[in-house]
Amino acid sequence: MMWLTSKSAKALGAVKRPTNASGLLTLCFLSLLVLLPFAEVNAQDNPSSEASKRANSQQWQQTLASAQGETVYFYAWGGSKPVNDYLRWAAKEVARRYKIRLRHVKVADISEAVSRLKVENGRNSAIDLLWINGENFNFLKSQHLLLGDLWQQIPNSALLATKKLSLHSDFGVPMDGFEVPWGVGQFNVMANKGLFDHETLTPETLLNAAKQNPGRISYPRPPEFHGTTFLKQLLVALSHDDKRLYESATPTAQNELLPLLWNYLDRLHPLTWQQGKAFPSSNTEQLSLLQQHQLALAVSFNPNQLAKEQSEKRIPDSVERVYFAQGAITNSHNLAVPKGAQNPNGAKVVINFLLSEQAQRQKLKGNWGDPSVITPVLDNASTLPAQQELHSSWQQIIEDSWQQKYGA
Amino acid sequence: MSSVTSTLFLSLSAPLLALYVAFMVYSQYRFNPRWQALEKRLAPLLSLPHLAVALGLVYLFSPGGMVYSAFAGIIGHAAPDWLGLPRKSLLTMILAISIKEVPFFLLIFSALGRQLAIKDWLLQGRALGYSESASWWLLVFPIMLKQSRLALLAAMAYTLSVLDISLLIGPNIPELYAVALYNWQTGFTSADQANAFLGNLLLLIMLATLITGIYLHEWLVVMRLRTNAVMAKPLNIARLSRVFTAWLGFFSLLTVAILVTFLLWSLGWNSQSTLSSINWSPALWQDEWFFMQGPLLNSLHIAFFSSILGVAITLLALELQQQSQRYLPDYIWLLAILLPQLSMVHGWRIAHSDLSASYTTSWIILTHIPFTFAYSYLVLRGPFQSLNRHYELVAASFGYTYWQRWWQIRFMLLRPALLSALAIAFSVSIAQYIPTLIIGAGRITTITTEAVAIASGNEQSITAVYMLVQAILPFIAFLIASVLAQRIRGSFDATHH
Repeated sequence: MMWLTSKSAKALGAVKRPTNASGLLTLCFLSLLVLLPFAEVNAQDNPSSEASKRANSQQWQQTLASAQGETVYFYAWGGSKPVNDYLRWAAKEVARRYKIRLRHVKVADISEAVSRLKVENGRNSAIDLLWINGENFNFLKSQHLLLGDLWQQIPNSALLATKKLSLHSDFGVPMDGFEVPWGVGQFNVMANKGLFDHETLTPETLLNAAKQNPGRISYPRPPEFHGTTFLKQLLVALSHDDKRLYESATPTAQNELLPLLWNYLDRLHPLTWQQGKAFPSSNTEQLSLLQQHQLALAVSFNPNQLAKEQSEKRIPDSVERVYFAQGAITNSHNLAVPKGAQNPNGAKVVINFLLSEQAQRQKLKGNWGDPSVITPVLDNASTLPAQQELHSSWQQIIEDSWQQKYGA
Repeated sequence: MSSVTSTLFLSLSAPLLALYVAFMVYSQYRFNPRWQALEKRLAPLLSLPHLAVALGLVYLFSPGGMVYSAFAGIIGHAAPDWLGLPRKSLLTMILAISIKEVPFFLLIFSALGRQLAIKDWLLQGRALGYSESASWWLLVFPIMLKQSRLALLAAMAYTLSVLDISLLIGPNIPELYAVALYNWQTGFTSADQANAFLGNLLLLIMLATLITGIYLHEWLVVMRLRTNAVMAKPLNIARLSRVFTAWLGFFSLLTVAILVTFLLWSLGWNSQSTLSSINWSPALWQDEWFFMQGPLLNSLHIAFFSSILGVAITLLALELQQQSQRYLPDYIWLLAILLPQLSMVHGWRIAHSDLSASYTTSWIILTHIPFTFAYSYLVLRGPFQSLNRHYELVAASFGYTYWQRWWQIRFMLLRPALLSALAIAFSVSIAQYIPTLIIGAGRITTITTEAVAIASGNEQSITAVYMLVQAILPFIAFLIASVLAQRIRGSFDATHH
């Protein structure tokens, strides 16, 4: 069935090209008529056919046609070589298949792009596509600076594994079609073997490890989001998974729960790297400190990162992957199109490609190793038990109090 | 220490430290045959970008760095951490900036030295019974200090708002002020926006504090030297100067070490390597070269035009002042490098966005010109004003018109100075990060913007590739300038004695 639809779509595509516009429309229409009955029946259990049905829609064919020749400026963090290499591969593919130039605009921090969108305030934007999640998304959505309806318009969003993964909301904020999941993050720790006895860690075992290896433990400085997530994992564990963490942070809940974290950190910090007088600025800096044997652990949001780095001989085999006993905080990282984008059609075509089976597989199997979000490529082997994200209101509170207590 | 006080401390101490070191070096080299060698090597040493110096120091001397590891290898076990340079600290930051600014002050002193009768003063000092080193401090230093106020302020304003280095090697508990301000400026909550506005004001207040600091320091120094002179107390600092006879060798060695470190990293060295297991390969260069061409061409294009335009406008400004005999104070001309870059560019960005202007290299060239102009003004003003008028008078007596004289004599006499001004302006443009990033919206990528974005990921090998290219560009410019200057000097040279 899947074979048939994709095959016939290809055959039709081959016929279409030489004909004129009206012929093209008729053919599209005919192909839809042919495919519709099958697709409708199987839409629920066969996302691939649903995707190809949508791909053959007239609307999408128009999007493809008008995207030709466009240049898509994709604002994404530029600090990771595997990610940069992956995007170079994607750019080559997109150019070959759709005649679109994909330009990766490397930013040191995506908030640069967010504040640019705010300054532009919906006018013609420098940005066509951006890689975001969490509070950045929440802000842009609430300011109505994003293009909506992406899930409806982009055919391959039918492939999204919404049943297996929680992909409808981003840090508790409903996506509502303003962004499309691209990959999944699961918070884990790459630690020297023997630092922890088990595959999981708890605040107690972490403190013990710090006592035995003074100056070798640290975490990225919040509000860097790996650092904030590290604190969230600690808070979940210290409060024995208090249910109030998943609701809006009331003053009572804050007064009762947060001191658990601060008391713990007061004990941990004197034992950390540079006695807590400095923290790595990011997870990547922490990783390079691990590589130089200055630290005994580094945090990551990519469950496959350790294996990839080890296969590249950039981390010794004496490092293992562990995660917090309550489960790894899991969230998605996503793609969005600004409302003022100059080349929105090109951006949609790029998103559609990035959600394709080939692109998601390359992302998982290549050097990056980022888990897939689509049903055909799900990778259960490396998936960690998931821990729900905290309600988004806790984020700011944890970051602000940390800054007051330890950051100044 | 709070963010503001530590930043003030840094911005005050690092440039002053550099100034003292530079003066000691200058006093050791000026009337010595080695001066020629120093003057010749000064420009290429000056061309090493700040970022390269900062990262180079960390790659070499931090715990886990190359020197540190080599040392650990020799003694057989890991050396204690306190022996290494902390990766992120005020100390690292002060060291990086003061080391980097020494050649800048040497350049300023060498220009000042041509206008001051230092040799006569030293003779007078000797006649009064002072040793040569005491004369340097008692007679030359106070005047040099006064004359280099603006250079000092430029270095301080730079340190106050430098972003890339602060992010990478500055302390983060608390963060340096530039980082905090940049976070507010790029933040999007209304609290951030309000903070950004107040933060810019505070930055100006901090600048005013630094200016006060410059005057206060000057006053204290003059008082102290006067008491020393009157009481005939020995000057301890004069003894220290002798250490700096080795400066040129030391600094050249450091520069080479930094470049070699980057080269090794870019060719496959990493912290897992032992000497035997390294898999040397140019693969990274081959991979990156294709993608580097765009940023490289942008860098060259922008630097070429902004340096030529900057120098041309400098000539125009100097010429107009001379013709009208009305001289504006230097700080007006140098405003672009005396004001904190972060606040200024933030303003430009708002204007640029309000105009709905395009993201093209022309806009970036425009935003680089104030900086290339200011530095070339700093370099050209001395040679221009101290130009020997005699030749022009002779030419006038032969009936040459004003413009003929200007072109065939003044311009020709200025050529060596123009060449070094061009090279400096070129390297200033290459190193610009904030204006390029903010006005180009990141769409126009240069070697420097790529280098900073990639350095944010702390992957040392690929960072090293970009650092090397970033360091080599100005170096090539200086090389070309010095080769051309030498050919010109073959015929005549009036500006250099």
